Amino acid sequence: MVKIEDLKRINMLNGVPDHLLEIVSREAQLNIYGTGTQLFSVGDKIDTFYLMIMGQVALKVALNPDIDVILDNLQSGRSFGSSALIEGSIASYTAVCQEPCEVITIYGPRLQELFKENQELAYHFMTGVAGQYKRTMDKRSEMILKTLEERPDLRHGIQDISQLTPSY
Amino acid sequence: MVGIKDLRKINFVDELPDNILEKIVEVAQLETFDEETILIRQDQSQHLIYMLVSGKIYLNCRAATGKALTLDELGPGQTFGLSSLLDNSPSTYTAICAEDSEVITIASAQLLQLFKSDYATGYKVMERVVERFKARMNRHTQLFMAALATHPAISSVSESETLEE
Repeated sequence: MVKIEDLKRINMLNGVPDHLLEIVSREAQLNIYGTGTQLFSVGDKIDTFYLMIMGQVALKVALNPDIDVILDNLQSGRSFGSSALIEGSIASYTAVCQEPCEVITIYGPRLQELFKENQELAYHFMTGVAGQYKRTMDKRSEMILKTLEERPDLRHGIQDISQLTPSY
Repeated sequence: MVGIKDLRKINFVDELPDNILEKIVEVAQLETFDEETILIRQDQSQHLIYMLVSGKIYLNCRAATGKALTLDELGPGQTFGLSSLLDNSPSTYTAICAEDSEVITIASAQLLQLFKSDYATGYKVMERVVERFKARMNRHTQLFMAALATHPAISSVSESETLEE
């Protein structure tokens, strides 16, 4: 169990009413991880949702056997592992603690059960996750477009430029 | 008047059950736009979700340097403007009709009102938004990594490390 005040420090839970945070707080745990702890890696089935209280976690993918690319460095207030909220999802990146981290964890299958019991909670949670994805996508698209602008030659390496747009 | 049959042609909602589509139909409009109509302007906030029934729409983007890029060409079945469900942040692209187009539009405020009065519907639709955003972001990352792998600096690092070994 964690305090509601800790959950309120998480960006994606902004706007979630207290009575729902109470429910989440009962299912959440506070964990401390040391520097270098690998929370999960690419291809793992994710069953835990992570909410950062303190520290820094790098999300990275291997470009080749010699080079890792850090997609994001997450700090206090961010969350990751939202695939745990969707049945059967696997990790598309590796998450590693860059320094000692205080992280709230919630077991994904339990959250999915709660979503079935309480649709208000499910709605608010999914809205928060969607918002986080949007912010990350915007940031990443900006990064990609900026890179393509600076290095137009890289554009040839992207076979399907249309996939960079926010349409479906 | 929009019918459930129209929504079944839209990829974003085609798998939702009839009872949810019936509710969405109530807040949806079918509109026809002429060629060259601008539906969304870059840097302006957007308030509508667009589902293309027929026609063609370009998504264009103007970079900070002023350089224009046509990013996508949308066809029937595709949706854009979902971000208006999440915040009032300005659009990152301009959407313009490349030909006369028939489009289902939904006011995001009305849809959000529906979600708040019916959380089950809100949850199911937001779950679809999350799945689509996640798939899109993974695809972005894969494409970018593929492009990065061809970067001369990356190649030279890999080569030098191979030599050192």
